Amino acid sequence: MMRYIVLALLPFLSIFLQSTIFHHFSIKGSIPDLVLIFVVFFALFSGARRGTVYGLLCGLLEDLYMGHFIGMNMLAKGLTGYILGKAQGTVFKENLWVGILSVAAGTIINSLTMAFLLLANGSGMEWEVAFTTLYQCLYNLLLAGPIYLWYYYSIYDGLLRTTGEN
Amino acid sequence: MLGNKWFWLSFLVVIAALITMSQTSLPREDMTILEKAVHSVYTPLQNGVNNVRGHWGNLGYLFSDKRALQSRIQELEQRNARMSIDNQALREYEAQAKRLQEMLEFKEDNLDIYDLQAAEIIARSPNNWSKSMLINVGANDGIKQGMPVIHPDGLVGRISKVSSNSAQVSLITDREMAVGVILERSRETNGIVEGTGSSVLLRMNNIPYYSSIEEDDRVITSGLSANYPKGIDVGIVSKVNREPSGLLLSAEVKPAVDFDRLEEVLVITNYHPPEVDVDEEGE
Repeated sequence: MMRYIVLALLPFLSIFLQSTIFHHFSIKGSIPDLVLIFVVFFALFSGARRGTVYGLLCGLLEDLYMGHFIGMNMLAKGLTGYILGKAQGTVFKENLWVGILSVAAGTIINSLTMAFLLLANGSGMEWEVAFTTLYQCLYNLLLAGPIYLWYYYSIYDGLLRTTGEN
Repeated sequence: MLGNKWFWLSFLVVIAALITMSQTSLPREDMTILEKAVHSVYTPLQNGVNNVRGHWGNLGYLFSDKRALQSRIQELEQRNARMSIDNQALREYEAQAKRLQEMLEFKEDNLDIYDLQAAEIIARSPNNWSKSMLINVGANDGIKQGMPVIHPDGLVGRISKVSSNSAQVSLITDREMAVGVILERSRETNGIVEGTGSSVLLRMNNIPYYSSIEEDDRVITSGLSANYPKGIDVGIVSKVNREPSGLLLSAEVKPAVDFDRLEEVLVITNYHPPEVDVDEEGE
């Protein structure tokens, strides 16, 4: 039960931190996407199907907070969860670099999907988006290492460990 | 694959998401119950962080360098003296302008006739794709959707969503925002400034090739817009580009407001837009 509470709290707290504290530590105006990092890690450990559902729910929460283009973050994070979840069982999760590189891949997939959906909705797009994505990717990579270590140990011996209810 | 229930479920979710995306891309009068619920949970927490930050900010003064503060006070006193002199001159100009307006029966629409509600920024957009901020005043304080939001430095944006104790401000730097503008120097070139998603760059589009626009020109709101009063600083032209067609120019505009450091804003609560036939605004 505790596992599910923590999994629900992670995106909630991430949005809270992204909307408040991280704006004081932005890199060239870019803030990290903690929600995405948790979606990537969840998908990596739980597989494509669960990764998709978790991505959809996390994205929906973000969309409801924003109140604009509801469904966009949901689709982008759901797709990211699906693609990264496909890697479950094929990668050596004990390697920290797997976590870090997965976040890089997740940031690119999520950004491309968001850009595509924005363009499809008739929104303008400047080259600035590429730089924003690059800075966000760097910021995400910076945080991915410590978060991955916490996530990995939590899965096996912490708040996120499965207690047989799955 | 077509017999797989997960495939059909995913297909339905995608279709539903695309429909809600399209439905919520336009401004809405009210928020859904779910959105209200999400905001009612986040707003007190974000207010709390803002208050804590305010207290820590005050504590920081105790540790500041006293010499630096004294030098700053001296500098501000000098500036204050200079501004008092400027103010005297401006009062004269104001009186003169009012006399001329009366003679010409001009309708007064200066910024000083508007009621302003001060607000603190308690949160910002949680992602890099949209530019918005949450302020600590809402419907209980008389805030309504569409009210213009300004700062002493210039235009900030307008209220896009209102809940009881907070309101969301869509910034002019957001991709979905557009503002009708003119050049302050020449009073010409009715153009539209659009957000680019970057907090340090706006784009002015569709400028005729014969325009006298040049670098360092100040861009202000045109007042023809249904959403903003006239004469508010929007930014300064940093670069003028010729469009590939050769008949139009575009310009990069540096916003007058430093959006990354913004902490307080002012909401214009009694602005009644003029009746215009042409909807100039993009959102």
